[in-house]
Amino acid sequence: MKKIEYKQLKETLYHETLPNGLDVYVLPKQGFAKTYATFTTKYGSIDNTFQVPGKEKVHVPDGIAHFLEHKMFEQESGEDVFQSFSRQGASANAFTSFTRTSYLFSCTDQVENNLTTLLNYVQSPYFTDENVEKEKGIIGQEIRMYDDNADWRVYFGLIEALYQNHPVKIDIAGTVESIAKITKETLYTCYNTFYHPSNMLLFVIGAVDPQRIFQLVTENQAQKKFEPQGEIQRFFDKEPDVVAEKRKEMRLSVNAPKCYFGFKEAPIAVGVSGDEMLKMELTTQLFMESLVGSSSELYQSLYDEGLIDDSFGHDYSIEQGYGFTMMGGDTRKPDELVARIEELFPQKVKKGISAEEFELVKKKKIGSVLRSLNSVEWIANQFTSYRFHDSDLFQMIPTLESITLEDVNSRMREHIDFARFAVSTVRPLEQLTKPTV
Amino acid sequence: MSSGQFQTRQIGNVRVHVCPSTKFKTTMLVAMFQQELSTKYVTKTALLSNILLRGTEQYPTMLDLKKKQNDLYGAGLFGDVFKRGEKQVLHFGVDIANEQYLHDASPLLEEAVGLLCEVITKPALEQDIFMKSYVEAEKRNLKQEIESLVDEKIQYAAQRSIEAMCKNEPYAIFINGRVEDIPAIQADSLYTYYQELLYHCPLDLYCVGDVDIQKVVSLFEKYLPSEMFTSERKQLDLSQTTQSVQQVKTVVERLPVNQGKLNMGCRTHVTIQDSDYPALLMYNGILGGFPHSKLFMNVREKASLAYYASSRLESHKGIMHIQSGIEIQNFEKAVTIIKEQIEVMRQGQISDQELAQTKATLSNQFREQQDRAYEIVQSHYHSVLSGTNRPLEQILQEIEQVSKEDVQKVAQKIQLDTIYFLRDQGGEADEKN
Repeated sequence: MKKIEYKQLKETLYHETLPNGLDVYVLPKQGFAKTYATFTTKYGSIDNTFQVPGKEKVHVPDGIAHFLEHKMFEQESGEDVFQSFSRQGASANAFTSFTRTSYLFSCTDQVENNLTTLLNYVQSPYFTDENVEKEKGIIGQEIRMYDDNADWRVYFGLIEALYQNHPVKIDIAGTVESIAKITKETLYTCYNTFYHPSNMLLFVIGAVDPQRIFQLVTENQAQKKFEPQGEIQRFFDKEPDVVAEKRKEMRLSVNAPKCYFGFKEAPIAVGVSGDEMLKMELTTQLFMESLVGSSSELYQSLYDEGLIDDSFGHDYSIEQGYGFTMMGGDTRKPDELVARIEELFPQKVKKGISAEEFELVKKKKIGSVLRSLNSVEWIANQFTSYRFHDSDLFQMIPTLESITLEDVNSRMREHIDFARFAVSTVRPLEQLTKPTV
Repeated sequence: MSSGQFQTRQIGNVRVHVCPSTKFKTTMLVAMFQQELSTKYVTKTALLSNILLRGTEQYPTMLDLKKKQNDLYGAGLFGDVFKRGEKQVLHFGVDIANEQYLHDASPLLEEAVGLLCEVITKPALEQDIFMKSYVEAEKRNLKQEIESLVDEKIQYAAQRSIEAMCKNEPYAIFINGRVEDIPAIQADSLYTYYQELLYHCPLDLYCVGDVDIQKVVSLFEKYLPSEMFTSERKQLDLSQTTQSVQQVKTVVERLPVNQGKLNMGCRTHVTIQDSDYPALLMYNGILGGFPHSKLFMNVREKASLAYYASSRLESHKGIMHIQSGIEIQNFEKAVTIIKEQIEVMRQGQISDQELAQTKATLSNQFREQQDRAYEIVQSHYHSVLSGTNRPLEQILQEIEQVSKEDVQKVAQKIQLDTIYFLRDQGGEADEKN
C-alpha cells in the first residue's frame, strides 16, 4: 500500500496494484458521512474496433459499450443488482462516456457489503437472449428521450460536424437500428476484452479505513481467476485536419435557437498523455476563459449586444486521439453570433491575452478546482479519467501555478484555426406549431 | 462527526444560521427571501434575481463584478428563484475558497460577506432607481427564459401538468414568472418593489464552512444596513392543501415530439408539517423514489416501456408527481400499470423487502445531504419554511419506525388528480394500440 500525501490540499491517497492488474485507490475523507466508490473500465463508445493478442480483430455495433453497462445489472439469480444495493442502503448507478464505463455506488452504511456487491456484479456478467431483447425497449426510450433533448442534439451535432472519421462522432447510446444488432455473443466479446482487471480501476473515497478496504479488495480478487491478457489494441480511422461539415443545421420543437461552435484539435496535437496532456488541457481552459469566459470583454460585448445570455458557456474535451473546444448556448441570432465570433476571435488572438486577464482567470480556475474538491463524486470520476491518461488529478493546482502567460497565448494561437472550426445550430421548426390542448 | 448542526441567531427580524464544518474547502453563504407565490409578485421577483447580478454600486458592470469574483479565487456568485409550496424564494449566494488551502493567505470570508451584501443591498443605480438599460436587457432575457421552458420537454411537461392540476391555486404559477407581466415592469416600479422585498419579506442568512459563528454574525451586521434587521417583516401563510379530488382530469397536449411524456399528479393530503410525513416519504419511496421501487420495476424492468418512471414529492403542498417517458402508443398501457401500483399500495401489498430497502435508501439520502453545503442549507430551510423542525437524527428515527400499516394509511389518503400526456401531432389512428 503506497501512501501519497498532498500537503497543500490536506489529502492523503493510498494506492496498490493487485496481482491481477487491478489498480486500487483509496482516499479517506474526514467528516464525510458518505462513501463513494467507482469501478471503471477504460472502455467507452469510441472503442468499436479492437483486437487482443491471439484473437481476431473485431468491429462491434454502435452503442454496445452503453448497452453492456445496462446489462451488467442483470444477475444469474434473476434479481436486479439494484435490489441488493437498496437492501444495503446504497444508491447505485453507472454511466458510459466516450472512453470509460463506470459502475458506482454511494452509501452511508454497510460500506464493505456494498463494495463487495460492486466488485462481484461487475465481475459476473449474465447475458441471455431474453434479457438482451428486453433491454432494447428500455434503451430505445433512452434514445428517444435524447432525440427530444435540444441541448444534447446541438452538442452532438457539433461533434458530428467536427469529425469525419473518428468514432467520437457516434452517439454513445447508438441508434435504435444499431442496438437491434446487439447479441449476447457480442456483449461477451466486449466484456471479456475490456473488463479484465488490468484494464480497470477501483476508486473508493469517503468515510473509510484504507487498510480495511485494501484487505477486502485483495481477498475478493484473489478468489477470482482471470487469464492474463495482452495489451488491447484499438483501431481508429485516420482523422483529417479539416472538419466534416462547417455548418450543421437542425430544426426541433424549441422556442429559442441554440448555437454551439468550436475548434477541433489538429490530429497531430492529440497524441500526448501524462503531464503534458494535463498541462495542455489546463492551458486551453485558461485561454478559453480569458477569451470567452464570463469575465471576458468579448462575453460582455456579446451579452450587451443581445447575442448571448447567461446560458453561454465553454468547455474543452481532450482524450488520446481527439480533442475539441465547444462554446455556445441559447441565442436569438445564431448567424450574427457566429459572424461576430469570426470577426472578434482573430483580433483577440492577434492582440493576445494580457497579464492582468491571465492572473484573474488563473485565480478563478484555482478556486474552482478547490470547490470541485468538495465533491467526492468529482474526485473519483476525474481522478480515474486522469489516471487513464497517465496523469494525476492532484497535480492540477501545481500545474496551474506553473503555466505562464506565454503558454496560454501560444496555445490560443495554435488552437484557434478556422479551418478546424464548425458550427451546430438548432432552430425552431418553420411553421411554429402552437401547442394544442 | 459534523452532521450539519446549525446554530441560529436571531438579530432583530433576521435569522442567521451558521453550520461550522471543517470538511469543505470552500465557505458557502446564502441569503433567502420568502415571498408569497402570487401573480402580483412572481415576475418581478424572478427579474430581481437577474438584475441584482448585473452590477452593484462598487462594481457597476457585469464585467467589474466578474473580475472581482475572479480576484477572490473565482468566488461563485449565484442568484435565482425557486418554489416551495406556495412560496417563491429569491436567493443569492457566494461560494468562496477557504484561504487555508491557498498559497496566498489573505482572509476571504469578510470579502465574501461584503460581496454578497453588496449584491443584495447596493445595486447599480441611476437617478436612485435601477439602470434602465439593465432592466430592459433582463426583461428580454427573462421573456426568453420563460418561453424556452418548452425547449426542455421533461420540465415543460411537469409544469404543464401542474398547471392543469392546480388550475386555480397559486401553486400552478410558473416560478420564473409570466410573459404578459413583463412589458409593464419599469425601472422605477421594480425598484420600489425591490425595497419592499428587501425590508419586509422574511429573510434568512446562512453560512456553511470552517468559520466562527460570532465572526459571521458580526460580518453580516457590519455589511448589511441596520434597517434590514429592524424593519418589520411580514409573516407568510402556509400553502393550501385541502383540495380534494372530485374527478380525475385527463389532459393531452400535442407538440412535435418523438417521445411521449406522461405525468400523473396526486394529492397526498399530507405535508412536511404532519406527523405522518415520514410515512409519506416511505410511501413515495416504495412507489417510485428508487430503482427498487414499484414504478421502476413494473414500468421499466417488467414491461420494458420506459427508461425512467419515478415519483417525487412536493412536501409543502403535499403533491406527488409521477413521470415517465414512453412510446406514444403505450400511453394507456403505462397509465394502467401506474394506476395498478397506486392501487396495490392502497391494499397494503408492500413486501418486507420493499419496506426494508426503502428505509435503508431513504435514510441514506438524508445522511448524504450532509456532505454538500448547499443541500445542508436547503434541508434546514425546509424547516424554516414549514415551522416544523426535524433534526437529522429525528427524521432517521421516525423513518425507522414507520410500519407497513402506516404506509397503507397514507396510501389510502392519496388521490390521483390529473393525468397529463405530452404527445406528437400524429393522427388519432395510432392512439389505441
